[in-house]
Amino acid sequence: MSNLHSLSHYWPELILTATILIGIIADLFYKPKDSGKTMYWIFGGLALTAFAVKLLSDSPAAILFMGTLAHDPFAWFFKMLIVLGTVIVLLMSGKSSELKNQSVGEYYVLIGIMVFGMFLMVSSIDMIMVYLAIEIVSLMSFILAGYLKNDKSSNEASLKYVIYGGFSSGIMLYGFSILFGLTGTTKLYEIGPALATLDGTANFAIMISAIFILAGFGYKISAVPFHFWTPDVYEGSPTPVTAYLSVAPKAAGFALLIRFFSAVFGTGENVAAGIIPVSSALPWPQILAILAVMTMTLGNLVAIQQESVKRMLAYSSIAHAGYMLMGLPMLSADGISAVMVYLVMYLFMNLGAFFIVMVVQAKMGGDSFSDFSGLGWEMPLLGVAMTLFMFSLTGIPPTAGFIGKYYLFAAVIQAGPSFYWLAFAGAVNSVISLYYYIRVIRQMYLEGERSETIQVPAFMTSLIILVLAIPTLVFGVYWAPIADWVSSSMVFAIPSM
Amino acid sequence: MADAAFWLMALLTVASAVVVVHHDKLLYSAIALLFTFFGVAGLYIFLWADFLAAVQVVIYVGGILVLVIFGIMLTNKITTVNISHTSMQRGAGGLLVAFVLGSLGLMITKTPWLVQHAAEPDQTVATIGRLLMMDYLLPFEVASLLLLGALIGAATLSRREE
Amino acid sequence: MHSLESYLYVSAILFALGLYAVVTRRNGIAVLMGVELILNSANLNFLAFARFGGVNLAGHIFALFVIIMAAAEAAVALAIVINIYKNYQSINVDEISALRQ
Repeated sequence: MSNLHSLSHYWPELILTATILIGIIADLFYKPKDSGKTMYWIFGGLALTAFAVKLLSDSPAAILFMGTLAHDPFAWFFKMLIVLGTVIVLLMSGKSSELKNQSVGEYYVLIGIMVFGMFLMVSSIDMIMVYLAIEIVSLMSFILAGYLKNDKSSNEASLKYVIYGGFSSGIMLYGFSILFGLTGTTKLYEIGPALATLDGTANFAIMISAIFILAGFGYKISAVPFHFWTPDVYEGSPTPVTAYLSVAPKAAGFALLIRFFSAVFGTGENVAAGIIPVSSALPWPQILAILAVMTMTLGNLVAIQQESVKRMLAYSSIAHAGYMLMGLPMLSADGISAVMVYLVMYLFMNLGAFFIVMVVQAKMGGDSFSDFSGLGWEMPLLGVAMTLFMFSLTGIPPTAGFIGKYYLFAAVIQAGPSFYWLAFAGAVNSVISLYYYIRVIRQMYLEGERSETIQVPAFMTSLIILVLAIPTLVFGVYWAPIADWVSSSMVFAIPSM
Repeated sequence: MADAAFWLMALLTVASAVVVVHHDKLLYSAIALLFTFFGVAGLYIFLWADFLAAVQVVIYVGGILVLVIFGIMLTNKITTVNISHTSMQRGAGGLLVAFVLGSLGLMITKTPWLVQHAAEPDQTVATIGRLLMMDYLLPFEVASLLLLGALIGAATLSRREE
Repeated sequence: MHSLESYLYVSAILFALGLYAVVTRRNGIAVLMGVELILNSANLNFLAFARFGGVNLAGHIFALFVIIMAAAEAAVALAIVINIYKNYQSINVDEISALRQ
């Protein structure tokens, strides 16, 4: 579709851009101590954006802007997910004690730009656009991670993040350049067929480019061995930012991974189904399966040793990236929809866990396990909600996390006996994770003094907890809407050749 | 003649890049980086990329390198005190690099790259401009949003909080 | 005349040197310079493929965007480095370990 015609399908992003600009201007009119009010503008803009995405989802799938963007249900699904996560994080940020002491107008504007970047990540079908989208999201993450200027660990986090982020996107670029050299085009859906015509002598180059590109994408979803930045960045960043980084860019990263690899290394009908295929050059199933097992095992084993709950959650989020990677090696549509279901469930439970950590930080001044002692008796709402989130992250029924894991394991087992070991590794890992998740619950109820008085959190805090806890419970028993939403979103726009 | 000039440029690029990664004094590394950037710009001219060569000189040499040198100057205690700046795992790093270089070299020789003959264009600016306004209009617009974000972010981070 | 491969070799060497800087250097700015080398090597690849693939200017556009991003990234990186310097008076990656256990 030509540039001008594409605009009629581009309302959500246009609204988002206007929101960002209004946010910048509105911030100028607020006094520094009132700068938090910028949040309302971004919040309203995001609500309108979500509404526009919803309205547009009646229109047929299309290719926009001269073949740079796909406008399809797969992208809409992730856009809604990203807006949902962002809106919750905006509410969390408003309650953050870390962000209170400095002007935060720019913080909300940067989040708005990051959302724009993620919208591009989930719909790009041109390597140039993919690169730009990743860079926008990375650059905004670097800045947000370092937003607490006077906090040494926040500084350290963003330095590491920026250095290794630039490094990984440089490696990814080198991989892109190899693909460009082999095929002479930057359009993903032209690269795929062009690669298919090459003979075996090109396989080595394809393999190197795939590994290099995987390094770039793996960095975004924090898959082992590209995860090394995650713990420090997650612990050093302001807690709302940590929560955000662990959910939204990860979802966008998975969307990009699925679309990119199915388009570029896919063949024929596989491309239409978004399935990552068995390319002639590479043993994809084995590579992805090993990556998944490494990621979840390392995440879990290191999470056990942590004394800070925030850092424990950072490693646990690496482990969850591993579980989600389990959905990809089977090269099946079931596997990909399982990943999408899991991402929805993960959004609520992980944001919930981080929000409780944030509340405890504000109250106790720290986030180690001992700060949680007796919390369950003192603040029953927090205790019950945290217990729910921990059960859900472990995957115990009847919680959302169980349903997510159920879909993943079902997809793995359906793929046949050659993947049973993967399911087994996933199951063992879930058991390991039980240990450190239960430890939080034990701290809250069995350690420390049993308080006689009961504290009720502020209205807004309770509201956010409920917004996250209720879906975590409800989707554990009634997940049909999510499953329907996912299965109707498995449609990819493919440009006609 | 053109061949000699090419090899000179290639040698300049590689040799100065070695200095960049190997010199113990940061400022020397940065100066060597200047020659690497110029060498790469020279190679761009051999590749018929006149516009990109100019952009390389203006942005890399005029912008990025100046930023790097500013960073070094503002934090100059490190170069004078030189704490643990000497690298720790040079041997292991060398092995890794030899392995990567070997694989890439093998890939370059073995792979059937897409090669098509074409006449040298008079200049590339007009075509690049047309591409930016037609096929790549969206990336062009998106880049402006990214630069806006980078501007706000850099200003926010380096601003003194009152 | 020099071939496509000769450019690719130069770019591969630049890539390897950049990688070497990233894994061996401990100083934040030195590592950043290594990253710049890697970006330059990718760009050299793009332009070499553009020239020998029949003057395919998509490669030029890619390289142009890479240079723009590199500038934006350097600006942000140095803002962070300066910010750290204010707090630490040093920017050696190994020394800054308020977090590490």
